[in-house]
Amino acid sequence: MSNQIPEFQRYQLAFTAHLRDPKQHPIQTGVPPERIAVYEEIVFNNLLQSVTACFPVASAVLGKRKWHKLVQCFMCYHSANSPFFRDIPKQFLHFLLTDAPALESENKTTALPPYLNALCHYEWIELYVSAHPAEAKAINASKAVDLAANVAIFNPTLQLLQYDYAVHKISARKKLVQPALTQLLVYRNSQYAVRFMEINAVTYELILLMQSNKLPGAKALQLLAGQLRHPEPQVIMEFGLAILDDLKAQEIIVGTEILQD
Amino acid sequence: MALISQIQGVGLGLKRELIPQIQSSYGDHEIANIQFLEIAPENWINAGGKYSAQLAWFAERYPLVCHGLCLSLGGPSPLNTDFIRQIKTFLKQYEISVYTEHLSYCTDGLHGEQGYLYDLLPIPFTEEAIYHVAGRIRQTQDILGQQIGIENTSAYVAAPISEMDELTFINAVISEADCLLHLDINNVYVNSVNFGFDPHTFLRRLPGERIVYSHMAGHDQQAPDFLVDTHGENIIDPVWTLLSDAYQLFGTFPTLLERDQNIPPLRILMQEINKIAEYQRRSSMTKQTNLSAVALD
Repeated sequence: MSNQIPEFQRYQLAFTAHLRDPKQHPIQTGVPPERIAVYEEIVFNNLLQSVTACFPVASAVLGKRKWHKLVQCFMCYHSANSPFFRDIPKQFLHFLLTDAPALESENKTTALPPYLNALCHYEWIELYVSAHPAEAKAINASKAVDLAANVAIFNPTLQLLQYDYAVHKISARKKLVQPALTQLLVYRNSQYAVRFMEINAVTYELILLMQSNKLPGAKALQLLAGQLRHPEPQVIMEFGLAILDDLKAQEIIVGTEILQD
Repeated sequence: MALISQIQGVGLGLKRELIPQIQSSYGDHEIANIQFLEIAPENWINAGGKYSAQLAWFAERYPLVCHGLCLSLGGPSPLNTDFIRQIKTFLKQYEISVYTEHLSYCTDGLHGEQGYLYDLLPIPFTEEAIYHVAGRIRQTQDILGQQIGIENTSAYVAAPISEMDELTFINAVISEADCLLHLDINNVYVNSVNFGFDPHTFLRRLPGERIVYSHMAGHDQQAPDFLVDTHGENIIDPVWTLLSDAYQLFGTFPTLLERDQNIPPLRILMQEINKIAEYQRRSSMTKQTNLSAVALD
């Protein structure tokens, strides 16, 4: 295969192979090391800055040495396929899912905390939501909104998330955490601010029901009370409608669909 | 669509750090010399929320030019035509008439992959490379339906396999691709020091009639014979002399200040922007004086 590639491309590929992994791929003859070192630094520092800016907690939890090693592995083993700089952290997530486990088992990277993927996903969500192409504007906002009788329209940037760890509580000081099923909402409000909210499992199920089945609030809550086999469905109804009002106040629900019948 | 002729005077690279300052000073006499702004499509395509709101604000008030970083015109990977189509839509949406890219590569993917490295890597100056790059520029121009500008890129390593010098390579690519030249004055200087050639001679032999606009920037001196193109320092005197030289040779052309690192407050950056405007004013006056002299003869 490589014989079919023109000489200048063989040179280019050897050049980038060296940049990705200087130890494995020594400098080509005739190229001064102190000069190619500039490219090594620029390529690595670009990636490092880009991922560290998106994953401040994950990088702090791992510490500088381990984090740099992980980014080096990302540079070395991952073929990034998006020209957009904003996608570099997403590609890093992809690397963590697909390439990192094998590298870890081959001892090419140090042992990674079991929650790292979840934590990085949670950190990346902020970037994703901040630049989400949808507009989070209020819909039929002037009308009184009856969330019990109508189908709610959720903020189009809303991310309904469930993690095996309380990812929002992890920090460099609190990095030894046990699994704990955690539900979170992340969304962008009309002022372009990204908001995070921890919710309980019932609220999570309620939003999931309303989003996937397009049910009015009251019907969704009846269904939920049935699923929970709650002895007093009215309690769930009152609790749930208060939550929906709160979600509306927080711009997580931005309006309702007008029912035709 | 904005016409290329609407791009004139002095421009500024639109960095996120500068956005609030330009917005709050908009309309002030102090920043009147900023006449166009440059953005990297890689930072703005598909960016919603506050980013699209900011872009809409600037697109309403300033002519914009697009200066790409990741098209990898010199790369071994397949040309990313999906990306070019996204650029085309973006240019149309914001009425941007100018799109330029670097004479460099930033990918090493094979077998259908891209393998972005997000940096401007040097192309070896060989005959095969001329046809490879020129073909990709032509393909890009065909998809976009317009000529693009190609920037001479700063470099730190000369490929031992190169068959010609940078000037011969650039001129051959531009001629073969029939594209425009995005002249980076600072890069001419940086490479003249890094590879030991005379920047004024280099400048004189470029196709001046193809200049779409130019870049001015500062660089970092790592050794007397080694400069790194950081865009993080003030512009040094020899680069100002080159700009003046270029205006004398080719007439004035739109010129944009790049500042990507170590960014000072806007009012400080305005000193260099105003200085470029002053060079342009002086150059066109000299030209007029020459014309009057011709008329008098």
